[in-house]
Amino acid sequence: MSASLTASAGALRADSISKAFGGLKVFYDVSFTLPPAGLLGVIGPNGAGKTTMINIMSGRLPLSSGQVLLGDTRIDGRPVYANADQGLVRSFQQTATFAGSSVEDNLIAALRFAKRDRSVLERLAPLLDRFGLIECWRRHAEVLPYGLQKMLGLTMALATQPKMLLLDEPAAGLEKSERANIDAYVGFAQREFGCGILLVEHDMDLIRRLCPQVIVLDGGRLIAAGPPGEVLNRKDVIDAYLGGTDEEDADAQHS
Amino acid sequence: MSNQASITRLPQARRPALLGGYEWATLCLVGFAFAVPVLTRNPQILSQTNLILIAATAALGVYIMLRMDLMSFAVPAFMAIGGYTVAVLSLKLGVTDAILLGVAAFVMPALCAVPLGWLILRLKGVYFVLVTFVLTEIVQLLLFEAAPLTGGSNGLVGMPAVTLFGIELMDNSQVLLTTAGLAFAGFTITALFTRHFRYEFTAIEKNDVLAESLGLACWRYKALAFSVAAGVSGLAGFALVNMLLTAHPTSFAPMSSVSYITYTIVGGKGAILGTLAGAALLVTATDLFALKGELSPGLFGLLIIVVTLVARGGVIGLAAKAAGRMRRASPAAPARVAPIAAVQARGVKS
Repeated sequence: MSASLTASAGALRADSISKAFGGLKVFYDVSFTLPPAGLLGVIGPNGAGKTTMINIMSGRLPLSSGQVLLGDTRIDGRPVYANADQGLVRSFQQTATFAGSSVEDNLIAALRFAKRDRSVLERLAPLLDRFGLIECWRRHAEVLPYGLQKMLGLTMALATQPKMLLLDEPAAGLEKSERANIDAYVGFAQREFGCGILLVEHDMDLIRRLCPQVIVLDGGRLIAAGPPGEVLNRKDVIDAYLGGTDEEDADAQHS
Repeated sequence: MSNQASITRLPQARRPALLGGYEWATLCLVGFAFAVPVLTRNPQILSQTNLILIAATAALGVYIMLRMDLMSFAVPAFMAIGGYTVAVLSLKLGVTDAILLGVAAFVMPALCAVPLGWLILRLKGVYFVLVTFVLTEIVQLLLFEAAPLTGGSNGLVGMPAVTLFGIELMDNSQVLLTTAGLAFAGFTITALFTRHFRYEFTAIEKNDVLAESLGLACWRYKALAFSVAAGVSGLAGFALVNMLLTAHPTSFAPMSSVSYITYTIVGGKGAILGTLAGAALLVTATDLFALKGELSPGLFGLLIIVVTLVARGGVIGLAAKAAGRMRRASPAAPARVAPIAAVQARGVKS
């Protein structure tokens, strides 16, 4: 792990975490640190253990060994809602909204569950406007186009005012033209809310644009870390991952 | 983007209402039952109204749990706890005050449900259903075995008449008044409870993984709901014991849970009015076709299958859909009602 990411108060730290399902090692001895208000990209081919990692860091799955720390508090294995209370909130790769409820009610639900008041929504207004969610304010979430549902889910995560956001492939399934929304979202979260963001993504252009630092997972191991310009040119990374450029399209289709 | 912040306005927040339209309508209908003894002395109507109210109140236990997509067969178990609590209190301790007994009939099952819920609510889907069913069997067994307290297979008889402010409520019409009071309490509690926690219950029903990730401790709300559902079932148990003048295990047969589930699903699980409508329709139908006894659970099962296949919103869902279609068909329909449609759709879960 490169020394450029230093631990400090409020950082999210994975300390040689390993996860095995029975005999299957999903990942092994992975360590990294996400500083407060920092932005760390996570890339790796399908099956590299990226979503499992988010499931573990958010508390949905227990670790096999190692520990996850938020500041000085150990958070792995705690209930997901308890970690959300501490300000660690994740988004989902698929659309995740409450079907049958309006856009407004979905956002109100997020505020209620995180014990925030409506003023947070006012602060989010520019973002909601940009995504086109305000025009759909009273429409049911499940009838929105896929891209809007995805942005609604992301905005709900942000409405909880998290300290750390774990984004699981936010751009997956979005059209190229919609992906600029992710840039806006990430920028807004950092600038207006001071969120630290762990960005798991397949979209290399997005990673290059946004992330000052990336880590690369392959076969459950951390094989590289550093600035994207440097890391993405390394031969082992290219071999592990960038050879299969059609993966991104396949991923977009199955979502 | 930040310079836009000053000009971007969110749509005006709607004032949260104490209760929704369906809830008010339901409470009015249940409240109307108080007037029935004044309007008629016909014993058939009185007894029919009594049965409908008891069935509807019992089915509220199912309705509350279905709000979180949990199918509960535990209603007869908690009815029994409520009913026997009342019988024992009045027989052994001489308590006859309707309000005191009503509180006891709610609190006792609700308290019993707390540890049970803690155990059961870790289970999901099918396992939850199975365990709630087994629970009613266990309670049934306990009622037979704990003879010193419950009278075993003889049940408990000879309870003194219930009193309200010292007045005995003895004859047919007064028994209906007691039932109406209990039903009204049950419906009011359920309406306020499900309304107050509507965001939580909807979130748990639709996507509990997302709800947890946003910070909602789902199990707490499930446990709370299980406890309140048990309490409301207990009120129905009180009403049943009061009507039959006996507390007997067969009044709380495990198979009767199928009836309560049928009332809620056939009536429409999307709104509290559905539970009342389902109970009213099916209790009346059972009586009309004289399907008392063995046949009705089987036919009710068939009815559940038909409704879940054809009209998942139940009677209320169908009515709301028809009303929506009529409104859209009429040329005078203003455009502003079309895109919202939130009220109608509540009864029509996809």
